[in-house]
Amino acid sequence: MTTSTLALAGTTAARSQSMSLATLVGRYAGLLLLACVPLGLTWNDPYWANILAYAYLFAALACAWNIIGGFGGQFSLGHGVFFAIGAYSVARLYLDLGMTPWLAVFPAAALATLVALLISWPTFRLRGPFFAIATMAINEACFALANYTDHLTGGPRGILIPFRAGFWNMIFVERWKYALLTFGFMSIVVLITAVLRRSRLGHYLLAVREDEDSARSAGVDVLRVKLLGMALSAALTGIGGGIFAMYVRVLDPPTLFALPDIGVKFALISLIGGIGTIMGPVVGALLIVPVENFLRGTLGGAIPGGHLIVLGIILVCAALFLKRGIVGEFTGAVRRIRNRKRS
Amino acid sequence: MTRNGISRLAIAAFAVAASASLAWGQAEPLRIGAINPYSGPLALYGDEVSRGYQLAIDEANAKGGVLGRKIELLRGDASSPPQGIATVEKMASQDKVEVFVGTYISAVSNAASDSALRYSKVYWDTNALAGDLTERGLPNFVRSGPYADSFAEVSVAAAKDVLAPALNKDIKTLTIWIEHEDSIFGTSIAELQKKLIEKLGGKVVGMGAHNFRAIDLTDSILRAKAAAPDLWMETGYVPDGSLLLRTMRDQGFKPPAVMMVATGDTFETLDALGKEYLEGIAVVGYPRPDQTEAYGPGAAAYLAAYKEKYNRDPIAPQSMTAYAGMQMLLEAIKAAGSTNMDELRAAAAKMDKPLKSYATGFGVKFDPKFQNTRAFPTLVQWQSGKVVTVYPKDAAQPDVKLVNVPRK
Amino acid sequence: METFLNILISGILLGGIYSLVSIGLNLIFGVVRIINFAQGEFVMLAMYATYFCTTYLGINPYLALFVVAPLMFVFGLAVQRTVLQPLQNEPMMQIFATFGLLILFENSMLALTRGEARSLSGSYSSVLIDVFGLKVSGVRLVVFIVVSGIALALMLFLQRTMPGKAIRAVIQDRQAARLMGVNVERTYLLTFGLGSALAGVAGALLAPIYTLSPYIGGNFILAAFAVVVLGGLGSVPGAYLGGLIVGLIESFSGYYVDPALKQAIWFIVFVAALIIRPSGLMGQVGAEEVGLREQT
Repeated sequence: MTTSTLALAGTTAARSQSMSLATLVGRYAGLLLLACVPLGLTWNDPYWANILAYAYLFAALACAWNIIGGFGGQFSLGHGVFFAIGAYSVARLYLDLGMTPWLAVFPAAALATLVALLISWPTFRLRGPFFAIATMAINEACFALANYTDHLTGGPRGILIPFRAGFWNMIFVERWKYALLTFGFMSIVVLITAVLRRSRLGHYLLAVREDEDSARSAGVDVLRVKLLGMALSAALTGIGGGIFAMYVRVLDPPTLFALPDIGVKFALISLIGGIGTIMGPVVGALLIVPVENFLRGTLGGAIPGGHLIVLGIILVCAALFLKRGIVGEFTGAVRRIRNRKRS
Repeated sequence: MTRNGISRLAIAAFAVAASASLAWGQAEPLRIGAINPYSGPLALYGDEVSRGYQLAIDEANAKGGVLGRKIELLRGDASSPPQGIATVEKMASQDKVEVFVGTYISAVSNAASDSALRYSKVYWDTNALAGDLTERGLPNFVRSGPYADSFAEVSVAAAKDVLAPALNKDIKTLTIWIEHEDSIFGTSIAELQKKLIEKLGGKVVGMGAHNFRAIDLTDSILRAKAAAPDLWMETGYVPDGSLLLRTMRDQGFKPPAVMMVATGDTFETLDALGKEYLEGIAVVGYPRPDQTEAYGPGAAAYLAAYKEKYNRDPIAPQSMTAYAGMQMLLEAIKAAGSTNMDELRAAAAKMDKPLKSYATGFGVKFDPKFQNTRAFPTLVQWQSGKVVTVYPKDAAQPDVKLVNVPRK
Repeated sequence: METFLNILISGILLGGIYSLVSIGLNLIFGVVRIINFAQGEFVMLAMYATYFCTTYLGINPYLALFVVAPLMFVFGLAVQRTVLQPLQNEPMMQIFATFGLLILFENSMLALTRGEARSLSGSYSSVLIDVFGLKVSGVRLVVFIVVSGIALALMLFLQRTMPGKAIRAVIQDRQAARLMGVNVERTYLLTFGLGSALAGVAGALLAPIYTLSPYIGGNFILAAFAVVVLGGLGSVPGAYLGGLIVGLIESFSGYYVDPALKQAIWFIVFVAALIIRPSGLMGQVGAEEVGLREQT
């Protein structure tokens, strides 16, 4: 992490510490309400409601990733595994045991957490890019395993959830209901991250991110902190996977484990929005998902891959010009203006 | 020109334009949405398939369109189920698409047709192969083309009726190795092949699954070689198919008969292996334009139309299947008098045309699950660097013979 | 016995391919320390460039190598200078940027070629050479011989020459190297260029073996990363041996276990090896990067 991000993290953490819990929740509730405005404007239009549903879901997933990736500084590219576990678990519990998905997400989250702990306990020995590559390799290994284990995951055929609308089935006719659901999920995750940030675990995570060795010498149990962060992150990702399962209802290994669409995307959204910030992933998702859809809709048919060329250029430019992510740049600019006013 | 002259010219031009649009009437164009991967590794096939659609549409428009309306094809890119959903949403709600066609990837077809149902729009699938697309029993889904089972059935029938006799064996004494790529596409075809062969009393000496993106497939070939089959059958995509054939050549694995299923019949494979090596390799694939006119009426005309519009030979035979599928759709719309979901499906249910009605040799008769029971792939063979239809017998040109079986 | 020998040789040759693709990445990763998602795309671009030389200019692919590799060197310099250097202090954004490049390159090639799979003409890929009584694919043998030569040459370069020593210094400890007067930015440029040139060599040598597609880069990239990390950062012999090991594991597990599981198997072996020995087989990793701590 660079010094500027460190300072950023420090001041925002300090500022949030000085607020009471109520003010904190109120502040983020306000921002979340702002994020809800697009839904309020377009809820009647199924095309936009669908895009927003997807955007909110990925915002939530990116926020969950951000807990360990942004706050904890452990750049995991294997969160697709937890996502897939959540999706498959909810699907199986719903189809085989008739459990309502509203409840099924919890055992799904538990399973995702368990697997996360099993994988992370050894891999947290690695740092930085080594950790990232190891998690990518685990994602690919799980892809192959999911394809192979027919009786668990349906193998290459996957699991298909038939359409039976009903609140308790978490299957809706109208897209705006899905959007409301994922918005609710996103709000919960955002509030969890906000509270986490000012909690002791949050501070420990940031300390581990900034300098693992110093943190250890200061008495922080580094491995425990990382594992707790990963557990929370994986649980929330698993729930997100479960919601995805009831939304798309076609679950096969390519859909769930594809790195560019799932695992890497969580990281990308956080990066472009502002890694290590709370609203960053939300901003990132609300930007990337509609833009991607728009590009695919307008350029998708004519030149093969045309819309992805544009997307690639956008990503490279975003990396070059928004080095700290959108929220990062925004808060930085605000601070510069404030400093200038002061002097 | 005088001012009077200019205004007269303008009026004339206006009149021409007006009458051109009047020829279509004040009717809204009939928009059909084609959901396919137009980016990603299968983009070529998405594009090819849409060319087939466009040719059928051009033909229909030249004859006045359908229901007095001009037909317009819109392309919707989708490579994964969520993308399929989003694209259908856009086309159904914003682009005024009335009917959907597709779709080169089965999982996308699944999600997209489900989405289309929310809008009560028919999803007329011309190319996706997975069995569960029709098994689901969705009230808006129709499949006009062959599916996984058709490929499995024709491949086994071809093994029994064409390749076994050429090897002086019958199906019960023919040893077969089934190789397939490990996604739903390869797996579903391979599983049914095994079932059908064993039902006929044939011997499957082994089955192998591989990843189509693998960098090395020596292990798959060595395993097959160890089993020494008479016939090596493979279902997969182009990259793995080519790598397997090359590895076979390198490892000296020369089964008396080689059959590829669904791919391996395009110039891509020819470039990779060369015509000497390919000589005699059989492919169960989508019907090709070289079929006899009796079997596939209009096949030659299709080929000519494709060449004229796109300045080259068709790259993949999937496009002709798409062409025939679109023709069927347009006929159904005409019969129904509308694109309303229930009316269109009801009209489709009544369609009854025998085999050999379309350029692909298909007929049309939908079973209760709306799978066209009269759509089959054909067996072709590489002969001197060209792909030649050999089976069914009446699809093959009269002077066509099987070559190089057993392989020298 | 013959089968065993066959699989052994096939594994070694496959390992040669992995080593070839990874050796450039090893340098880049070791020095610049970023996950260059676009590395596979460099190989892909080099393959297409070779195809172009062979098909439209009539040059033998093994000669085209001498055109493609320098071109890729320059290309690598350009990418490093324009995209990666400005992001030097933001390692995560660098990853982001390389991912953007991956999407850009892949799809530009798709737009150019319409996705049609192409193969090199000529009979290179069908040449078979006799090795211990077994027929071995000539093009793969060439890959193995060349990568062995490159590994040797690279080792000598890193040990004996000044720029090579500068590279090693930066791999070990970038701050200390800077203090010692090494121009770190120039070293990054050189390394990236060299890594791309090596990707160019890989592309030229692999073009006769595979069917070209815009997406072929993705087939190599994960394996390449695994090999680099397994072999040990900054260690050329490590990358070389790592590639061979991965090739052998894949080959043996593919034949004796199941071809459908071979990827999963060697991924698991890779993760396990990394956990047991995070610095890789022969790593000399920078002090700040690797955790060699015990579990508490």
